[in-house]
Amino acid sequence: MRSPALAIAWEFRQRHRWGFIALAGYFLVLATIKLLIPESSLTFNMDSDERFAVVVMVPLTATFLYVLTVFTFGLSGDVAGRQSMYPARMFTLPVSTTALTLWPMLYGAAAMAMLWLATRLLAVWPSGFDIPVIWPALAAVSLLAWTQALTWMPYGLPGLRVILAVLWLGTVDSIVLLALRYQASEAVMVAIVAPQIPLAFLAARFAVGRARRGDVPDWRGVFARAQSRLQAPRRFASPARAQAWFEWRGHGRSLPAVVGILLPFELAVLWLAKDAPAFVFELLFLVLITPPFMAAFTAWTVNRPNPQVRDSYGVPPFIATRPLTSAELIAAKLKMALWSTLAAWLLVLVALPLALEWSGTWPLVTERVRRLHDAIGTPRTATVVLLILAGFVVATWKQLVQSLHIGLTGRAWIVKGSVLLTLTFLILLGPIVESIIDTPSVQRALWNALPQILAILVALKMSAAAWIATRLDRGRLLGDRALVLGAACWCVAVLALYGVLVWFFSTPFVERSLLALIAILAVPLTRIAAAPLALAWNRHR
Amino acid sequence: MSESVISVSELTRRFGATTALDSVSVFLPRGAVYGLVGANGAGKTTLIRHILGLLRAERGSVRVFGLDPVADPVAVLLRIGCLSEENDLPGWMRVDELIRYTSAFYPKWDDAYAEELRRAFALDPAAKIKDLSRGQRARAGLLIALAHRPELLVLDEPSSGLDPVVRRDILGAVIRTIADEGRTVLFSSHLLDEVEEVADHVTMIDHGRIVLSAPLDAIKESHRSLNEAFIAHVGSAATPAAEA
Repeated sequence: MRSPALAIAWEFRQRHRWGFIALAGYFLVLATIKLLIPESSLTFNMDSDERFAVVVMVPLTATFLYVLTVFTFGLSGDVAGRQSMYPARMFTLPVSTTALTLWPMLYGAAAMAMLWLATRLLAVWPSGFDIPVIWPALAAVSLLAWTQALTWMPYGLPGLRVILAVLWLGTVDSIVLLALRYQASEAVMVAIVAPQIPLAFLAARFAVGRARRGDVPDWRGVFARAQSRLQAPRRFASPARAQAWFEWRGHGRSLPAVVGILLPFELAVLWLAKDAPAFVFELLFLVLITPPFMAAFTAWTVNRPNPQVRDSYGVPPFIATRPLTSAELIAAKLKMALWSTLAAWLLVLVALPLALEWSGTWPLVTERVRRLHDAIGTPRTATVVLLILAGFVVATWKQLVQSLHIGLTGRAWIVKGSVLLTLTFLILLGPIVESIIDTPSVQRALWNALPQILAILVALKMSAAAWIATRLDRGRLLGDRALVLGAACWCVAVLALYGVLVWFFSTPFVERSLLALIAILAVPLTRIAAAPLALAWNRHR
Repeated sequence: MSESVISVSELTRRFGATTALDSVSVFLPRGAVYGLVGANGAGKTTLIRHILGLLRAERGSVRVFGLDPVADPVAVLLRIGCLSEENDLPGWMRVDELIRYTSAFYPKWDDAYAEELRRAFALDPAAKIKDLSRGQRARAGLLIALAHRPELLVLDEPSSGLDPVVRRDILGAVIRTIADEGRTVLFSSHLLDEVEEVADHVTMIDHGRIVLSAPLDAIKESHRSLNEAFIAHVGSAATPAAEA
């Protein structure tokens, strides 16, 4: 390996070889599907939205984000920090700043272009569409190049990178979408997208040069007064409070910050959509789904690997040596997740009515609620609205905490295996659901077997819960009182949900036992209870 | 000097095919300074991680203050101050926040002593941990390890982070003060000169086995220096302090 260019390429290849192998595997699947279709007797087509989304769009988006993260060095950097995310160790290499900038950008551009071209070539696209070849590849390359420039730039304030990235990339995207809306030709699209690539390179070259000189602006003094209000209190009332503060400062603000950044963009569209009621409700749904959706991503920060310590998946010694039990450490994380959820929803609940009112779309919503009221009456309408809201809030909290038991095991093979299983499940889920929808006999069989299926799931859940409770008790991770109290709280939550369901679905067509099974499955238990076990396994290896 | 603060018996630990600790037994009575010396990769940190309860004993047993640090981490960790070799203090915290946060965990936290140490270590309370130099970060770690006046102070390779001035003028003095107050210090190092300056008792570890464990005076009687004893038992010279 005689050249710096080859050495940099080798690092990308070696570090991300498993990701690249998975990518190659995906293309192999696409190619196999394409080869099989003409010979198959099945009516396998890609005109179905769900199937196309599952087989092409979801994996394409995921791989696009993966390639974006790899070539911005985003997997090891601090996206919210002031410092450049370009690895500082590379600044001491005896190569020019231009080379340090150019090679990762070039490799990233090649990967992005290949990603699009391979998908364009190998995927089965819906019939009747003329799928362009050149400009989407260039658009992907320009998005990567701008992301590289933005992530490699040092900033004067923490978090500024995220805000600028969202604004700038959103603007670049909007220009492309606007051009598409006006049905611009491929040549026009290329003319819009291509010049951005050298501009992004110049910005990235400037960013790397600045970072290499250690030129990191510091504007924190301007915000010192506001910052002082966020400092630790003079004295914590208890170790548990101190740990909860630690979790909040370390991870809790991510979700409200992300929701706060996205919300104005989503709500701004209300002004454009006020003449299209259906679109208003789609937007409303988008706004309500934003906190739980983003919680799934920010959950990663709660138990993300720590690159600062030798065992990046393990509990950092600083935390492992706190004189707290593993259950207390988990309790602090659960509390932080709750505060984070409430803060994010506070933003939504304040901003949404204001935006509806100011955009003039409030009457559309009240009219829909009035129709619901006329149909089912006041108590049920209120219950529906409250249940929907509570469902979204609980879903947000659940997204933040439900993977704790995986991440806190500290075993890379469990974390990576879980991600692989989840992706496989998601990819398989679409075709399975669609085939069920297409086959009435399967639907009938499933409906008839629903009580048995739910009963089996409940039995599995309760068996797992019993096993976890035994392990928590034997390992002295939770005291008897805490176990009994936890079980009692869970029972109360299940009974309350069951009561609401029975009241709401007061119809002879739905068995009460079915509602009881649904309530038992809906209230979280095993995964949260397993978190202290996972942490103890990681903390005392 | 009667009650054992640390009692490690026949401890064996393997990481895959590598035996990190091989039937290690160590008994440290109260009120002295113990130097754990060995080359890099000898097993010092693995032994310390067992004592802190960060590793579970696969074979053998570990007791600290008569307690199992894995089964009862809170009772053990409340009485220990430790400075990790990795020094993974959270970068987003300010020095004063670190002090306030850590103080919440220890009922015996001494605010006046913490302030005294902060001044001695020249730490700016408003500075963020991530903006501190490696040496300053090690000082901050040492501060929070000391300020609750622990019964047992565990320092894992403190010299790898601390600058020579702190090492020579402060660390030695702090360690001696703790020992004079009847508390116990266990520190690992590959710098024999440093160990020779402050330790009462030296344990040498090589390839996961204890090759020598004796009072420093006794070692000096049988060998001219600790370095010579190290060469005799381990077979190669340790790193001189000046090179570290």
